[in-house]
Amino acid sequence: MKGLRTEDDIEQGGSSPPPAVLVTLLAVVLAGVIAVFASGVMVWVGVGALALGAAYFASRNATPKKGSGDVAKARRLLLLLDRGGVADCKVPADFTNEWATVYERVNKASLDMRTGSSALVELEKLRKQIELAVSILDKDKDPLLEARELRSSPLEPLLSYTQDSAATPGSGGQVVSKLTLGEEEELIGSGSDKLPDDWPKPAGGPSSSQDAPARPGTRGAMGSGSGVGAGIGSGGAEMESGLRELMREIEALRTTLAGGASESPRQNEDPAIRTPAQLVDAVVLTAADGIEDLAAGLMRANELASVAERVTNRATLLALNAALEATRSGSEAFAAIAEETRRLAEFAREATDTISRLSSEIEYKVGETITAIHATSEDAKNSLAELSGTAVPVPHAARSARVQVVRLLERCRELLSSLGAPQMPLMPGLEARPGSATKPSKGANSTQDNVENDSPPADKLPLEGILLIEGLKPGANLES
Amino acid sequence: MNLGTRGALTFRLGDYNFAVRVEEAGGVLDADRLAQLPGVTEPIAGVAAFRGEMVPVVDLAQYLGIESDAPHRYALVLYRGADRFALLVPEIPRLIPGRDLREAPPEAPDPELSDLFESTLETDQDHYHCLNYWQIFESIIPQTASAARDARARRTG
Repeated sequence: MKGLRTEDDIEQGGSSPPPAVLVTLLAVVLAGVIAVFASGVMVWVGVGALALGAAYFASRNATPKKGSGDVAKARRLLLLLDRGGVADCKVPADFTNEWATVYERVNKASLDMRTGSSALVELEKLRKQIELAVSILDKDKDPLLEARELRSSPLEPLLSYTQDSAATPGSGGQVVSKLTLGEEEELIGSGSDKLPDDWPKPAGGPSSSQDAPARPGTRGAMGSGSGVGAGIGSGGAEMESGLRELMREIEALRTTLAGGASESPRQNEDPAIRTPAQLVDAVVLTAADGIEDLAAGLMRANELASVAERVTNRATLLALNAALEATRSGSEAFAAIAEETRRLAEFAREATDTISRLSSEIEYKVGETITAIHATSEDAKNSLAELSGTAVPVPHAARSARVQVVRLLERCRELLSSLGAPQMPLMPGLEARPGSATKPSKGANSTQDNVENDSPPADKLPLEGILLIEGLKPGANLES
Repeated sequence: MNLGTRGALTFRLGDYNFAVRVEEAGGVLDADRLAQLPGVTEPIAGVAAFRGEMVPVVDLAQYLGIESDAPHRYALVLYRGADRFALLVPEIPRLIPGRDLREAPPEAPDPELSDLFESTLETDQDHYHCLNYWQIFESIIPQTASAARDARARRTG
């Protein structure tokens, strides 16, 4: 019957432990009933104790058993993924066998995600480091000593070398007196003291202040410094201005990279940089404008030629009438004048005919040229489109960013060169590209050339388009 | 051979070359814009001003029935006593001195023109027909009193 429990239901219900709430409720009711029959304080205390004991017993039975540990491990892996991995990974003891391998992989993946080696993150990191270095330099302090993170940054060789340059021997002052090295250590010494072995050294540069030659422009070499700030001195100021410029460049690059994906290439383009098709259009428009002006001038010349023709006709009529009168009168003087008038009229006639013929020829050639330019423009556009289609498309933002990065590197190299430091890799990821690595022996232009050579062939097309248009101008030797 | 003329003004009309003796020619003027007269017959193209006088201009090609595609832009003025009229010609007439002209055997260009035909002049290259142009004038323009008097005098004289 409906609503009645079957034996199976009863058996299933009997096999499962009673809920803690139900047991507690039954214990309280039972205690209450007992208390009603035997009233008294001690009885009530006993009733309470009995209820608490029942509740504790029920809760012990009702608490689910702890899982086998896999779920907990999975939760810990999720937490690890969420918080990001650590560099020195230590697998917990309870992660054994496959779980240890999974833990290491998740740690590595989360560490990669957290540290992110994208260009934007690297640039942001570099920008912050430069900003930090500038702020420390503003306080006339040594960035390498004040900020430990700068020792492992790409700026370390530059900062270190500047420090070495400032600590040249013979400066006469105490270059290094008492410097805080991190939080635990202190470095005490003077200008003639050698730096400790564990002192950060520039890559490929002089290993100590003893090896560093005195360079003009540094306060240490001028002998007027008396402390770290004074030791860094003018070299630091020069470096500071260079770093500020570097930071501006990086800011621009960061903006370009960050906004390149959302903005269309047209919006990012420099107005002075035009596509080959736009150049062809510009050439055609310029030529068309010039030819239209020429045609307008030609029309005016035709009008003047018409007036000249009428004047010539009048002169011819005058000459004829003069000759007619001279013939009738028989006067030789009159005949001579009439003859001169006739010659003048003939001369004017020849000149007018020549002008009219030239004007007609120019008008015809102008019309032909306009037609040829329009036809050639279309051909050039089609050819450029075909050639551009074969080239590997390079996003404009990426190209612009690469150019800016290369300029940035060149600035850094110039800055180092002005300080007398050897070549250093500021942003290793940009120079270590196989097949496009910059050879230091080629000088500063090699990197720029390298980037320009990486541009798609379409970048070289404007000149070809212009030459194509130039070759189709009237009088041009098409075969050549 | 004495032609009785010092020269001739020649012009081409259709396939024919015509000549006007210089003794009859008063001059040549531009006839781009002729003043139209109301109620005149078709051979008269209009009137033009020549040395302060009004001269009727006759379209010779239309009068002779000669097809000429070239626009008639010039007027060759003929005068006889007090009478003047002009022939509309398509080109500026060419003056040929009398020494270069010879009298040629009379040869009418067309039987219908035999009434107007007067003489034929020739050079080494071409033949030129001289017409009695005043007959054309008299057939179109009513004679004035003075002209009639002169005509009577010529007949009686």
